[in-house]
Amino acid sequence: MNRLLSLLFQQGVLDEQFLQLQQLQDQTSPNFVSEVVTIYFHESEKQLRNLRNILLDREMWDYVKLGIHLNQLMGSSSSIGAKRVRNICAAFRTAVEQNNRSACMRALEVLEHEYCYLKNKLHELFQIEQQRVLGDAVRYPGVVHQQ
Amino acid sequence: MTEGINGFSSPRPEIFPAGLRVLVVDDDPTWLKILEKMLKKCSYEVTTCGLAIEALDLLRERKDGFDIVISDVNMPDMDGFKLLEHVGLEMDLPVIMMSVDGETSRVMRGVQHGACDYLLKPIRMKELRNIWQHVYRKKIHEVRDPESHEGLEEILMMRNVSEQQSDDAYLFCGDDMTPGSRKRKDSEHKNEEKDFADHSSVKKARVVWTVDLHQKFVKAVNLIGFEKVGPKKILDLMNVPWLTRENVASHLQKYRLYLTRLQKDDLKTSSSGPKHPEFSPRDATENRTETIRVQQNEAVSSHRTPSNLIIQNLNSTIPKVDIKCNASLQTIKPKKIITGYAAKTGISNPFESTQYSPFNSVLPTQYSWGGGFKEIQFKQEHNPPQFQVQDGCFTGLGLPAQQKIIPSFQPPDPVISPTWSLKEQTSINNMELSPFLLQGQHCSSTNIDHQNKGLPNDQEFLYDALKFDFEYPADSSEYHVIDQGLFII
Repeated sequence: MNRLLSLLFQQGVLDEQFLQLQQLQDQTSPNFVSEVVTIYFHESEKQLRNLRNILLDREMWDYVKLGIHLNQLMGSSSSIGAKRVRNICAAFRTAVEQNNRSACMRALEVLEHEYCYLKNKLHELFQIEQQRVLGDAVRYPGVVHQQ
Repeated sequence: MTEGINGFSSPRPEIFPAGLRVLVVDDDPTWLKILEKMLKKCSYEVTTCGLAIEALDLLRERKDGFDIVISDVNMPDMDGFKLLEHVGLEMDLPVIMMSVDGETSRVMRGVQHGACDYLLKPIRMKELRNIWQHVYRKKIHEVRDPESHEGLEEILMMRNVSEQQSDDAYLFCGDDMTPGSRKRKDSEHKNEEKDFADHSSVKKARVVWTVDLHQKFVKAVNLIGFEKVGPKKILDLMNVPWLTRENVASHLQKYRLYLTRLQKDDLKTSSSGPKHPEFSPRDATENRTETIRVQQNEAVSSHRTPSNLIIQNLNSTIPKVDIKCNASLQTIKPKKIITGYAAKTGISNPFESTQYSPFNSVLPTQYSWGGGFKEIQFKQEHNPPQFQVQDGCFTGLGLPAQQKIIPSFQPPDPVISPTWSLKEQTSINNMELSPFLLQGQHCSSTNIDHQNKGLPNDQEFLYDALKFDFEYPADSSEYHVIDQGLFII
């Protein structure tokens, strides 16, 4: 496991579910992890948009919908092991249950921030991986490389 | 896989549990992909589905085409529990529920509605490896049931295979076998089928309660009157020659349970009235089709007084289904979008990053993030982040509410340095939350101004990063507020 990954584990950004994903990657689906993560990005950004839209309303908030979107985001985040994002969703959900508007807003900010951080780090991770694979191919041309 | 009549595969008991035909229903595409992969690794045959209604159609289309259904509890078009009921009633398949929410009351509901298991997300592969037990257990119980059953030799073959494979199988073999079949265990496998036919009672075909059959059943029940109903009467009315009294009796039992559960649910949810009176045309048609399906299933037909009560209950569920469909369909549609993501002010952004693609993205802004900011130390290693809500101030991660972080910003280094991240800088270890997010104080306007001056690039980054294919123009009146990156009410 490379240094960045162990760092992310240490920080609590990722948990062992991410390792599960890596273990699922094999010959038949060599890009499994990045494919799943890409879907995750797409879905979570959708949910984040939804959340922000609700919160943008200066008058009434639909707390039920907030809860639904949060649940969806939580579910997705748990799928790739995005532990910190998931935890913030849980805190956000508590704020929703308490009908605490300012806490909700802050939670959204933190959530977006955490998400950005996660996304950056995962991109880095994939780049490192890609470079490694390319490097191997250059060093050992003609050898079939395992992912 | 051996192909059945419709071109769909039929089960091959000799390789059980491999080849188990699983239907996965989840609205989250990430989980669909992961579960599909996990189940394939277990050598199961997987079909995925993103909508509950689609799943029901699939199940009805391919009668006997699946062995087990795994479904998420929160689906946009139909409550997961309702799906569970339908599957149990119509197809009599084992259903496993999944959710990220593990609250006891929900789990109990799941079990009440007939789920054979309730998995918590994130789901591990080892949990999926065991799902064949539910299929097996159901088959065993059907053997005991005088109403069914084909497939007894199936079970024996499964059992023999699983005995060879693992010790766990003994747990299942133990008490569940009738004396007749235990004898079979010892004899050779080859002659099983023939012997069995001689020894056992008449082998009956498994009754699949199709929609039509169920409709006839419900019509009969309603005609007789729910209170006075009895299997014999229903059977006579239904006029289905191959159906036995036992078939009807067990189905009646299930149906009764189903109705009582519906009534309980109605009582619980009766406080939430109809929410969305307006229907867009698309929504309306989809709702109607859902209504029609539901009506078919409940077979709300002609009726006398005692059954009116039931019909009312059934009727009252239908509008709820509509509402749920409608409400969820409406949530999916984006409303007028005003977001900060598209907010672009006069500040020129040197870090124009375009759409993210997994491998090719050049990410100038991100890498320059760490430079020059005064970081906040977080003890992340051992404790999960604790978020406390104190007096309305959201302090993240156990920071004292009074901590005021004064950023000392330098203009971020525009040079792209991918290797930057690999250095063990202290900045990496920190959760690089921009200070304005963690102000223990309430958000006053002074704070905002202060931060706004200091963080033009930071905000831009935040918004750029979240700028997906977003073309909604933001109202200029909204710009000002959003651009400051904070919400002030």
